[in-house]
Amino acid sequence: MNLNTYCCCRHFKPLPRKWLLVMKLTTFLLLACMMTVSAATKAQQVTINLKNASLETLFTQLEKQTGYDFVYDEQLIQNAKTITLKLSDVSLDQVLTTVLQAQPLTYILEGKVVTIKQKESNFLDKFKSAIGLDKIDVTGKIVGDDNQPLSGATVTLKGANNSTITDAKGLFTLKSIDPNATLIVSYIGYEKTIISAKADLGTIKLKVTDNKLDEVQVIAYGQTSERLNTGDVTTITAKSIGDQPVQNPLLALEGQVPGLFINQQSGLPGSGVQLTLQGQNSIYNSSDPFYVVDGVPYSSELLPNLGVILGTSGAGVGVISQNGNPLNFLNPSDIESISVLRDADATAIYGSRAANGAILIITKKGKAGQVQANVSLQQGWGQVTRMLDLLNTPQYLQMRRQALANDGLTGPASTDYDINGTWDTTRYTNWQKLLIGNTAYYSNFNGSVSGGGNNTSYLVSATYRDQTTVFPGQSADQSGAVHFNLNSSSPNEKFHIQLTGNYQTDDNRLPLYDLTNAAISLPPDAPPIYNKNGTLNWMPNSSGSSTWANPLAILTTGYTNKTENLIADMVLSYEILTGLKLNGNFGYNDLRSAELVTTPLISFAPEQRSFLQRNSVFGNNDINSWTVEPQLNYQKHIYKGTLDLLAGLSAEQSNSTVQQIAATGFNSDNVLGDIASAATLTSAGSQIATYKYIAVFGRLNYNWEDKYLIDMTARRDGSSRFGADNQFHDFWAIGAGWIFSNEKAIKDGLPFLSYGKLRSSYGTTGSDQIGDYQYISLYNPIVQQVPYQGGTAIQPSSLANPYIQWEQTNKLDFGLDLGFLKDRVLINATYFRNRSSNQLLGYNLPIQTGFPNILENFPATVQNSGWEFSLTSTNIKTRDFKWTTSFNLTIPENKLLAFPDLASSAYAQALVIGQPITIYKVFHYLGVNPQTGLYQFASAGGGATSNPNPSTDQTYEVNRAPKFYGGLSSSFTYKKFELDLLFAFTKRLGPSYQFGDLPGGIDYNQPVSVLESWEKPGDVKPVQRFSSEYNNVSQYYDLLSSDGGFQDASYIRLKNCSLYWSLPDVWVRKCGLRNGRLFINGQNLLTITRYSGLDPETLNVNGLPTLKVLMVGINAGF
Amino acid sequence: MKSIYLSRYKIFFFLLPVFFGCRKFVTVPSPVTSINGGNVYTADQTATAVLTGIYAQLSNSGGISSLGADATSVFAGLSADEFSFYGGASVNFLQEYQYYTNSLISNTPGSDGQWGATYPLIYTVNAAIAGLNASTTLTSAVKQQLLGEAYFMRAFFYFYLVNEYGAVPLVLTTTYTTNALLPRASKALVWQQVIADLKVAEAQLSSNFLDVTLLASSPERVRPSKWAAAALLARAYLYTQDYPDAEKESTELISNTSLFSLSPVNTAFLRAGLGNNEAIWQWQPVNSMQNTTDAQVFILPSSGPDNVNYPIYLNPGLVSSFESGDLRKTNWTGNVTVGGTTYYYPYKYKINDDTTVVNEYYMVFRLGEQYLIRAEARAEQTETPGSLADLDAIRSRAGLPAYGGATDQASLLAAIWQERRVELFSEWGHRWFDLKRTGTVNAVMGVVTPEKGGTWNPDWQYYPVPLQELKLNPELTQNAGY
Repeated sequence: MNLNTYCCCRHFKPLPRKWLLVMKLTTFLLLACMMTVSAATKAQQVTINLKNASLETLFTQLEKQTGYDFVYDEQLIQNAKTITLKLSDVSLDQVLTTVLQAQPLTYILEGKVVTIKQKESNFLDKFKSAIGLDKIDVTGKIVGDDNQPLSGATVTLKGANNSTITDAKGLFTLKSIDPNATLIVSYIGYEKTIISAKADLGTIKLKVTDNKLDEVQVIAYGQTSERLNTGDVTTITAKSIGDQPVQNPLLALEGQVPGLFINQQSGLPGSGVQLTLQGQNSIYNSSDPFYVVDGVPYSSELLPNLGVILGTSGAGVGVISQNGNPLNFLNPSDIESISVLRDADATAIYGSRAANGAILIITKKGKAGQVQANVSLQQGWGQVTRMLDLLNTPQYLQMRRQALANDGLTGPASTDYDINGTWDTTRYTNWQKLLIGNTAYYSNFNGSVSGGGNNTSYLVSATYRDQTTVFPGQSADQSGAVHFNLNSSSPNEKFHIQLTGNYQTDDNRLPLYDLTNAAISLPPDAPPIYNKNGTLNWMPNSSGSSTWANPLAILTTGYTNKTENLIADMVLSYEILTGLKLNGNFGYNDLRSAELVTTPLISFAPEQRSFLQRNSVFGNNDINSWTVEPQLNYQKHIYKGTLDLLAGLSAEQSNSTVQQIAATGFNSDNVLGDIASAATLTSAGSQIATYKYIAVFGRLNYNWEDKYLIDMTARRDGSSRFGADNQFHDFWAIGAGWIFSNEKAIKDGLPFLSYGKLRSSYGTTGSDQIGDYQYISLYNPIVQQVPYQGGTAIQPSSLANPYIQWEQTNKLDFGLDLGFLKDRVLINATYFRNRSSNQLLGYNLPIQTGFPNILENFPATVQNSGWEFSLTSTNIKTRDFKWTTSFNLTIPENKLLAFPDLASSAYAQALVIGQPITIYKVFHYLGVNPQTGLYQFASAGGGATSNPNPSTDQTYEVNRAPKFYGGLSSSFTYKKFELDLLFAFTKRLGPSYQFGDLPGGIDYNQPVSVLESWEKPGDVKPVQRFSSEYNNVSQYYDLLSSDGGFQDASYIRLKNCSLYWSLPDVWVRKCGLRNGRLFINGQNLLTITRYSGLDPETLNVNGLPTLKVLMVGINAGF
Repeated sequence: MKSIYLSRYKIFFFLLPVFFGCRKFVTVPSPVTSINGGNVYTADQTATAVLTGIYAQLSNSGGISSLGADATSVFAGLSADEFSFYGGASVNFLQEYQYYTNSLISNTPGSDGQWGATYPLIYTVNAAIAGLNASTTLTSAVKQQLLGEAYFMRAFFYFYLVNEYGAVPLVLTTTYTTNALLPRASKALVWQQVIADLKVAEAQLSSNFLDVTLLASSPERVRPSKWAAAALLARAYLYTQDYPDAEKESTELISNTSLFSLSPVNTAFLRAGLGNNEAIWQWQPVNSMQNTTDAQVFILPSSGPDNVNYPIYLNPGLVSSFESGDLRKTNWTGNVTVGGTTYYYPYKYKINDDTTVVNEYYMVFRLGEQYLIRAEARAEQTETPGSLADLDAIRSRAGLPAYGGATDQASLLAAIWQERRVELFSEWGHRWFDLKRTGTVNAVMGVVTPEKGGTWNPDWQYYPVPLQELKLNPELTQNAGY
């Protein structure tokens, strides 16, 4: 075989049509990887030069050269003669035939395994064999790399219908088998091991796999591998999470998971994160996935809070998008893996809560063995990724004066302080540099100790993190986290207990508002920040009124958030019989935060201080939840396959409390944090809610010889969020996989194909993410500082709908996995189609109904479909150098399939059947009218108008959802060096900033692009005439609601770039270390985009862009 | 094997109760932070709290798009010839500037105005009417008063909607499915409903001013009473040109001298508890350390108006229309001179600093207006002497001599309208509504709007239906001119 064979298929016998189709589908991906795969894996030609060597030596050399596995009984070859051999560039067959001729041995070559056997012997032996007299009972113990027994490992007799699984102690017995038989031991996450049978095999230690296909994938209530999974799951491990200096582990997933679209809301610590998995299912609600941390359901949204500076999480426009993100309070360095579950097969067992997918987070676990300590110290620097190109003072003044001239005015108004002489028009301040151009400092210290003996292992770790902001002043986020894990088992290994705890305390100190808005809008000739005496300069006019809002006044306000997060989980398991296990999972989560918003008197302009009051708002939020999940697990080898059965119960209760108190009447700015110093306290809001949830679920999984896989799940759910008649609902899914590469015909016909799987799943999931008590009409108290007539006041909080039901999403999924060159190249293509119907939506209503919306089951169907591709390849692998790349691409499509009576519904103007639900209906922009200098738009009747009618002329659509997105990562290892790169890319539209913010009319600075403005009839310019008087406001706003108001906001961003250098062994030993590593991590170092706004990722004109961060650090193990 | 079966039993026993307990498990009690629709109208206190909630919200909302006193006064005043707007357009006051220059557009951000602020309150009122009618457990006096308050408030809300927007959807139930697609009802129908509701309210409401228990009297006049209903009814009849009924209703109030009398100009805006018998209905301020937001919005600092906090001052045309010696000019306006220009501002409410002493309540209805309603109703019925007597009562309180001009109907009416202008300025948009209902709006605004920097279009006497609403309810139509 040579490389040519891979590339063209003409040597093969004609293939069935479907294979040709499959191959067509992946041709372009294949070609891409073919280019890069080196010739290092050329054919299995070998060169041997041995003198008086043992057979074992020969086999070892052959293994190295060919990559084939040799399986033999050591006793069998102990007595073999030594060999002397000199052959070059011969085939493996030739070598083996030559060598074994003289020995009482023969070989069988099957796939990539060479089994060495005794030669068929004399008649007596044959006779004994025929009547079964020579059969033996084989026993053995299977352990993992940490010498802990592996319970549930499969031991199969090769080529026969005989198989067993190991018990709690890792022991197994196979009765009366052929002494020449070969056994295959497999366990998820370990290399498949082939051994020759003998009566007592002793302890067999499995090697952790380095094949990506066989790595452990955590799924709901269990684990599997990519090879055997029938669902659509991606697992990201500690390595790629740890590379990235992020506070929120979700941000480490960006660009790495097909189907997952993530947007950070700002570059501030603790900011909101918007995330959709396989598109937006809801027309109105946010589409948060279901989070599970160590088996404990975890909030996808924080409670209503005061952190307006943080930006919201949740991609919908609906009722439950809150500031900040709960995942900010989970320490990324304590995470072992994050699994993203997408299709019905993977998620249906979470029933009603996984309509938007599920994200399972597993924290690090202890490992038995010698006590090991690890210390990691990191220090870093961050700056905003981009700044805008804004007008300088002369350009700015020119714009403002042009606006006056356009309006026929002779001079500026008395309040136009920026141009009427009140301010010094020769000044220039780069406000971006001053307000958001500072360096944020990062520190991150982590230490951990793990170890343990035979029956007990443990891990404890502690992390301290400190991060400042790019604002001037003292804003900073500090956090400390401790994590522990304890595993213990009874001496007979039947009983296991695992206790895991994560605790994080976070202290985030930020100003109340983001300074970015001021940074891009303050006129360049605005006054100096400080007076000569060091106080804030308010630049009073002749009558004493301040002429500007000093941006640093914002920094005197404060938003402090102290959050504590405890996630504790205990898993008990008991093996009742071999294969039958009872598990109990007990989880507790308490996420509580104390917030303080302070507005001191000095933050107000001096002339307002006589009547505005300094004030504080205190907020206390708490979500605590417990969960109990007893499960029964049964594993049995039946006929040619392994059957896994799971039945379980899940009960959960979550209590949430919000209390906010507004305080006024302080006598000093210094005591705003002290609630006792306030003269007046009024409630600023409270919410107390209980949520209960119960479910029974079951799963059946059958794996027929690693060839045919079937997986069926069912769940019955009850939730307290619905009225009495609609509390329960059933969900189910079925998934099937066919590993066709294990079919003999494929093996023979397509030898270059090392792995091939087709899988499909279909099922139903639901959503109850609608907030509590929506089915009853609630009257909430009105917060009154001075009660009206001294009485209480209440108001209806929403329209009630007692008939609301579960929302249902039907998910269909097809996947094709292919592995080439011994799985060095892995390709996956997945097609998904999720249809959400009976949706629980805040149905938009005209306000004449009393409320802007009502929660209702919605007779519309939204379809999210799309393709997900991923390609992983090991391009070069030599002893010293390894280069791997991984690429993924998602092409989503969102479509409104059905909407009965759309035209007469409240959504008539917002949605179009057949179009995405993420569209805006807009005017069609036709440029600036050369005669009037005003923006003009297509009118429905044809022609152009500068006064379009929103009811009839918004005939175009703009889709804000991404067209495609993905990532490319590459890892290079050379001796002691490792370089990892991760690029993320997105193609989508964003609101354009090139037309500025009402340019000319107000004292706001503008991007330089507005200078291309219309000045006189006949001018053909992209920006309409400047106006000082708001005469052209409606055209400006019409532009923002036209297709011209949007532009390409696609970007490619170097999300992460990490360079590691492992210290030379000599140094390490001299320092008394186990290992040592120096590294540099860079986050968001490079962005390629044509977007005119600050940041194509946040798309937020007034929010801080994401930061580029450079970290240096050292890891040391003791 | 025995032990194995035992284990299985144990599991079964363990699972069994959970299966049967499912339904019970997922049933949660109503939240402790909320009353709900099922029990709110079963107890006097919670039922009263719903109506109290409406007054508290109205009183609290000094904001831009609210129905708070200053919001109506400010926006309608800006639209008319009452106020000037300082410094032209500024980004802080884009919407105000559009009101000022009579150039509202339907999609200015945040321009849902009174429409968006009022309908949620109408829902509450409709829910209260339904809930109260169905309730059997309330004290009957409480139930009657609350029903009266609810009908009264519904009329109050529609009165302002019909005056600002013309035809509006007439929502009288809480059934959102039908309400969501209600088209605009004709102005005549809305007026008919306003009057019908007020008649019910007048019959139900107590003739005493009640405290929050609704069972005892209060020195303050902050809950609607029979008298508030009569006052609005008199105004509604006047607006609908039912002059005999307007005269009848205003007479009810004017003749009840034990409760009502004209106060001296300097005490006419104090709270009723301080002996101000001018008050018919007032709102109690609900923000701590504050009297009215009107005082805070209107009273200019010594630095004069600016485009950051104090953009509003009195239109010089209004200032110059006061006769000399008018106590209202000296007492109800203030002025500040900056750079040689004197700016006048409304000074009816005088307390704008932080204080725990709350002496001024928002005046919603007062007796002065009733005299002018009756004067006009009588003039329309050519009862000239009676009309003159009412007009002079107001003039006399303002320190002015009796009316000495022509007494033909047209002249007398013009004199009354001028008197309304100087008596009711900066209160509740009276001037803007008067211009429209008397048919003088085009003549006046045709002159004033260009002075304000706009161009007058007769269509613009009604505000635009918010664009968002047009999109959400295909049955809605936009007012002409937008």
